[in-house]
Amino acid sequence: MPEPADNRGPGQRQMSPEEKAAFEGRISDLGQLLDKVKAERKADADADLDAEMRGRGMAYGMRMAAELVAAVIVGGAIGYGLDRWLGTTPWLFLLFFVLGFAAGVLNVVRAYEKMQKEFTARAGGRVGHRVPDDD
Amino acid sequence: MPDPIHQFEIHAIVPIKIFGWDASFTNSSLFMLVAVVLTAGFFIVSMQSRSLVPTRLQSISEVAYEFVRNMLRESTGEAGMKYFPLVFTLFIFIFVANMLGMIPGAFTVTSHIVVTAALAGIVFFTVLVVGFAKNGLRFLKLFVPSGVPIYVLPLVTLIEIISFLARPISHSVRLFANMLAGHITLKVFGGFVVMLLGAGGFAALAPLPLLMAVALTALEVLVAFLQAYVFTMLTCMYLNDALHPGH
Repeated sequence: MPEPADNRGPGQRQMSPEEKAAFEGRISDLGQLLDKVKAERKADADADLDAEMRGRGMAYGMRMAAELVAAVIVGGAIGYGLDRWLGTTPWLFLLFFVLGFAAGVLNVVRAYEKMQKEFTARAGGRVGHRVPDDD
Repeated sequence: MPDPIHQFEIHAIVPIKIFGWDASFTNSSLFMLVAVVLTAGFFIVSMQSRSLVPTRLQSISEVAYEFVRNMLRESTGEAGMKYFPLVFTLFIFIFVANMLGMIPGAFTVTSHIVVTAALAGIVFFTVLVVGFAKNGLRFLKLFVPSGVPIYVLPLVTLIEIISFLARPISHSVRLFANMLAGHITLKVFGGFVVMLLGAGGFAALAPLPLLMAVALTALEVLVAFLQAYVFTMLTCMYLNDALHPGH
């Protein structure tokens, strides 16, 4: 079998030491380039995920305050209405105001739990900047 | 100073009276109509070709469809897909209305609590009707969490009921307050630019609030989208409660 004329079939014949060195140099260059491209891709994907999670985080953040306030208002309104109806001013108002606050806190805790679940599922709990934790 | 509230004033374009009720066609109605016509027009035109390889416009409507579908499916499962038309309509209407409001001089429909309360009311009553229709009295289990000791159960149930009744309020107030506050802030900073320009030597400072107004505009575009997203996400969550109470 005649030897191939070009040196593109390195497995088919013995390479001279210089050829071998040049070939390995090319491989390691290619490897480095590949690593660089992969790292860039990963950084891009990370940045995308980060931005998405930050958007969702902001969406959740905007929910929390309204969640708390609305429940307090509803509780207070129910109490006020019952007071007017039963003539027990101000006791039911006070009671329902506090209950409303409890309901608000409950709503916020629920929203937070849901957010935690979603974020852990999506990004392994990573949100925004990663800050080293000291505990 | 230009009045920052002026932009929210409602005035009749075509005054209509029905049995003494004011049912005029107002600037708010006009922008609702524009939002609906734009949306319907866009989807009709973009889905005209219905090709397997989508055109650019078709991709946009497909992305919108998939976005809302995924949101609904993630929170309610396959059973919730029946309510896709409602959820999609809400999302697109709020999104387009918010975005129309970003055009200078345009009226922001969602900056009035009447509008957002009506939208939240639709969701609230849909949840009630669907919940009772699907589960009957088992829907009430939503208010009675399992695993609670009997002596605090009445208290917890009361709290759950208040928390349920608070939903339409937080649902509507959030959207309305965000749009209102954002537009007022924008107007105030815009007003600062004009006032500084008219204040002799201080005119040199005018670019500062202008920069702020530009940055705020970008933020407002984000908020316009986020609020539509939040409203829709909550709609999905509430629907999930109606379909699977006691989870």
